[in-house]
Amino acid sequence: MASRGPGGLWSLLPWAVALLLAVEMALALPEICIQCPGSVQKLSEVARYCKQTPNLTLQARCCLNQKGTILGLDLQNCSLKDPGPNFTQADTAVIIDLQANPLQDDLANTFHGFTQLQTLVLPQESRCPGGIEAWYTVTYYKDTQTCQGQRNLCNSTRHPGTCPENGSCAPNGPGLLKCVCADGFHGYKCMRQSSFPLLMFFGILGSTTLSISALLWGTQRRKAKAA
Amino acid sequence: MAWPRLSQRGPLLSRFSHHHVVVFLLTFFSYSLLHASRKTFSNVKVSISKQWTPSAENTSYELPEEIWSSNYLFPSAEEATLFLGTLDTIFLFSYAVGLFISGIVGDRLNLRWVLSFGMCSSAVVVFVFGTLTEWLRLYSTALYCCLWIANGLLQSTGWPCVVAVMGNWFGKAGRGVIFGLWSACASVGNILGACLASSVLQYGYEYAFLVTAAVQFAGGIIIFFGLLVSPEEIGLPGIEVEANPEEDSHRPLMSGADSEDEYEPNYSIQEGSTHQAAQAKAISFQQACCLPGVIPYSLAYACLKLVNYSFFFWLPFYLSNNFGWKEAEADKLSIWYDVGGIIGGTLQGFISDVLQKRSPVLALSLLLAIGSLVGYSHSPNDKSINVLLMTITGFFIGGPSNMISSAISADLGRQELVQGSSEALATVTGIVDGTGSIGAAVGQYLVSLIQDHLGWMWVFYFFILMPPGSRCYHNANRTSLVDPTSMSGSPASPDPCPTRER
Repeated sequence: MASRGPGGLWSLLPWAVALLLAVEMALALPEICIQCPGSVQKLSEVARYCKQTPNLTLQARCCLNQKGTILGLDLQNCSLKDPGPNFTQADTAVIIDLQANPLQDDLANTFHGFTQLQTLVLPQESRCPGGIEAWYTVTYYKDTQTCQGQRNLCNSTRHPGTCPENGSCAPNGPGLLKCVCADGFHGYKCMRQSSFPLLMFFGILGSTTLSISALLWGTQRRKAKAA
Repeated sequence: MAWPRLSQRGPLLSRFSHHHVVVFLLTFFSYSLLHASRKTFSNVKVSISKQWTPSAENTSYELPEEIWSSNYLFPSAEEATLFLGTLDTIFLFSYAVGLFISGIVGDRLNLRWVLSFGMCSSAVVVFVFGTLTEWLRLYSTALYCCLWIANGLLQSTGWPCVVAVMGNWFGKAGRGVIFGLWSACASVGNILGACLASSVLQYGYEYAFLVTAAVQFAGGIIIFFGLLVSPEEIGLPGIEVEANPEEDSHRPLMSGADSEDEYEPNYSIQEGSTHQAAQAKAISFQQACCLPGVIPYSLAYACLKLVNYSFFFWLPFYLSNNFGWKEAEADKLSIWYDVGGIIGGTLQGFISDVLQKRSPVLALSLLLAIGSLVGYSHSPNDKSINVLLMTITGFFIGGPSNMISSAISADLGRQELVQGSSEALATVTGIVDGTGSIGAAVGQYLVSLIQDHLGWMWVFYFFILMPPGSRCYHNANRTSLVDPTSMSGSPASPDPCPTRER
């Protein structure tokens, strides 16, 4: 390689870039989309959603938008006892299908952070995460059930919690709540409000300092003898 | 030099040119700004301890870590508060040590440079301490300690320099009242710091530090371009050399007490101007300590500053702890102690100017201080009575304390033995205030200790011991040595200043 000199190396560059891009494309698909073999079932809810909404594409088990964000996930018939550690990659999903899996665990904390989720298809024997009160409608079918429309429980009287100073309640997945900064507050512990007018402050301070210094030098120190 | 003609309201005012006014204001505000940055620190303590600790709240809601509990410098707010208290003590000790050093430095280098450098560099340290560490999320106790030690050392350049400059410009006659008024600068600084801090605290505590540091830095620049350290700098004659013809009989006693060859017992004022160039050599630390009055007044001041600073640091806490008053209200009420101190310092300074002796005023004030402390310790749970007693206590404790740290320090540093050269002023002020600050630092520790183990009443018994202790040193000074703080009735010097009319 060294004998080719720098020219040879430069000629290799486009190839290397192309290779890197290809690798990146393959890697760009999150593990959750490929860990279960196969692709989205043609007639599933996820497939229907993906076709109805413009600019979405089906890849492996996922429905992705142009930025590569997971909006739909179809994991039906994957023999899952639990959704696994990669499941949080799909926390942007609007629709998830988990039917025909022998799910065993309580799903309450599985959907932690899934704030966008609007439709969840589960096997018959599972319960909607967060319970019935966390969803607008729960529909039971022969082998499946569908949990639809997450309710915002922040104003519900069944969850009498309080947030620390300057915090306010926000949904954090089905049946889950978290404290975020109230409107207008930001920063650690939401202690800060709006942003400091740095430019104005230093502008005023600088010009004031300059004029007072000039004035005082003129009236006081100009006649001073060097020490 | 037509200015003084404009202000001929009294014999005192007519002697002052616009240079005097500018010097008064510049020194006043430069020390105010230094004190403001200290006050900022104590006012943002609650925000800082929140910033350093994870949220301790118990709620059924989830608290996302990055918002509520990502900072673990201290596990709880109590430990953060303890560390902030330690920073206070560290600051006071390094400030005390710094005072001894910067007084000596100030007398050897240009006072203007030292003051300007001190203000700007301490502003930079405060900026790093409060703003940069927050922006970089660099929370480290060791770094905070190092920065606060540096800040104490750099801040200590302020007081000796400003007192020396004031001493250069304002003569002994009228010094009491002018310095009394001027020593309000610390209290004004406290109010300024509190206002600055509270107005920008909503943007985050780091901006409270940023604003005070930036304003202090700007002050340092203004000082550099605008301050005249002495009348001689612009060719005006200096203030009269301070002689004590009344007490000539004491002279042999004093000359015997410290047989320093440099001093001429028969020094006369007429020779002053010719000697000035030769005498401009700065006095050494040991020589300054040996000047009559310096050590006794330093020790007396240590006792007083102990009580004074204990009130400064602990009064709001005592009020909310002992009477159950709200913290914000206690903060506001405690300003009255400062008000009493300002009035006391000015009024007692004025009386001492009229009497032309400072000792009797000081002695009487310290006697009444005992009474006021006893009275205040028995104050009923009534805000108006408490505020009245607090103001009286401030009058008799803060007043003499202000007087010793400013007017009397200037008297001591410009006494006849130093032969009118200003080169002892900063050193002497540094010694007096440094000893006082050691007293204050030890006091902070003792107060928290006594209060913890014996209760508030014993803290007051401890305080009550201080004025007699202070008087003790003060009396020792009066009997054994000539008192340089008492003044001659009529200055023997032919007044060389054309702007003055007597």
